[in-house]
Amino acid sequence: MTPNWLTPDLLNLLLQGLLLTVVLTAVTAALALILGVAAGTMRISGNRFAAGLAVLHVETHRNLPALVLMIIWAFALPNLFPAELRRSIFFDNAFLNWLNSWSGLSLPYYTLAAGVALVLNTSAYLAELFRAGVGAIPQQHVDAARTLGASRLKLFWTVLLPQGLRTSFPAISTRLIHHLKNTALAAFVATPEFFHSAQTAITRTFLALEFLMLAAIVYLLLAFAFSGLLRWVEKQWLVAGG
Amino acid sequence: MNDHISFLIEKLPALLFGFSGQRPGGLFLSLILAVLAVAAGFCLAVPVSGAERSRWRPLRWCAVAYVEFFRGIPLILLLVLVHQGVGGVRFGLNWSPRTSAMVALALYSSAYQAEILRAGLAAVPQELVESARLMGSRPRQVYFLVKLRYAIRVMLPAFTGQAISLFKDTSVVVVIGVAEVMTVARMALGADVTNAPYWVTMYSFVGILYFALAFTLSRLSQRWERRSRPSDLVHSYFSY
Repeated sequence: MTPNWLTPDLLNLLLQGLLLTVVLTAVTAALALILGVAAGTMRISGNRFAAGLAVLHVETHRNLPALVLMIIWAFALPNLFPAELRRSIFFDNAFLNWLNSWSGLSLPYYTLAAGVALVLNTSAYLAELFRAGVGAIPQQHVDAARTLGASRLKLFWTVLLPQGLRTSFPAISTRLIHHLKNTALAAFVATPEFFHSAQTAITRTFLALEFLMLAAIVYLLLAFAFSGLLRWVEKQWLVAGG
Repeated sequence: MNDHISFLIEKLPALLFGFSGQRPGGLFLSLILAVLAVAAGFCLAVPVSGAERSRWRPLRWCAVAYVEFFRGIPLILLLVLVHQGVGGVRFGLNWSPRTSAMVALALYSSAYQAEILRAGLAAVPQELVESARLMGSRPRQVYFLVKLRYAIRVMLPAFTGQAISLFKDTSVVVVIGVAEVMTVARMALGADVTNAPYWVTMYSFVGILYFALAFTLSRLSQRWERRSRPSDLVHSYFSY
């Protein structure tokens, strides 16, 4: 069934990478969605300090390439500290050792840093999309809620959040699929995700074209599956439930 | 603090224009790569978007497969695929990193631009096409002078957004070692342990360079779009 260049140990390596890609995508996409909605809401909250903070976040992380962000978090930040301190903060402490034994990642800090960079980058885009979605809500809905005496919090939970998400969800889905592809950048900062495993397999076998085409097909399938999942979420929770 | 600034000043010419002997490089090369890739990508996107709207099914499927493939895989993978897989020694091509980066970025950009063009072409008002036909234009004239021009103008915000996004994406070519600004930053820091304190300074500065260009470009394009709104478009066609 499997071609002879795909030996069992290489297949195992690739599957481990695939698992990390899926987990990394799921966790960072969920966090980015929460942070993005929060930043988008802060921007329209009317509080000048909160709005300024949100603008700063959005403009910084939208205008920096995701790869630069990752390198700053993963490689540059630990170098700020002297060697002893660096070791205990970033590579050898109770939390990271627990993460290591639990997930099997040999250097969990790099994966965490890549995740943080991904969340910051994507949430900046999502904040703008959510804000545009809220902007498209008919004014009458907001007025009606106010007339009925809804508090600001109630207005947010019952009108702004569900309707804002519903109108902006197609655009959010596109961005999240882009986010899935961006997780491959984490390979550059020593995160053993799928693309990294494919590269490791190439250095062991020198079969570049085979493994890269295999990786391309897997990413295409992942993207199709993810977009199917997002369409299902949209139909299930945002259209029918509204 | 002072040593950080003098370190940056020492590396600044290389960051902007590349190491001497490898010019053009640095940020300048990033810009060249982005501009050339967008231009080449557009030239590819015109036939692909045409094929996507073709009446002949196999051609349409090929175009859809092209767009889905290049849009569906990560750019970092496409770069390595072009450099090691296709442009490597196996097919006797042996492309330089710079050539591979150009090819990969152009293919990547073309898929996105083809999607934008397709949406733009679908938005062309039928009466515009019909009146052009009534005036006796040939099909080719209708396509290039009416449909394509309308599509480009109506989708201009999407095109500029894509171009700015591609400029930021050129940072990824560091994986195949093109001498653009990320690679220069990496080489300037090197494996020297004494350079460790400068890592944050260096990459923050590279970030500032990207930010300055991307932010300025997006603000300029926003101002430009406000001046030429698509709602004026039909009017402008009749007031030539």
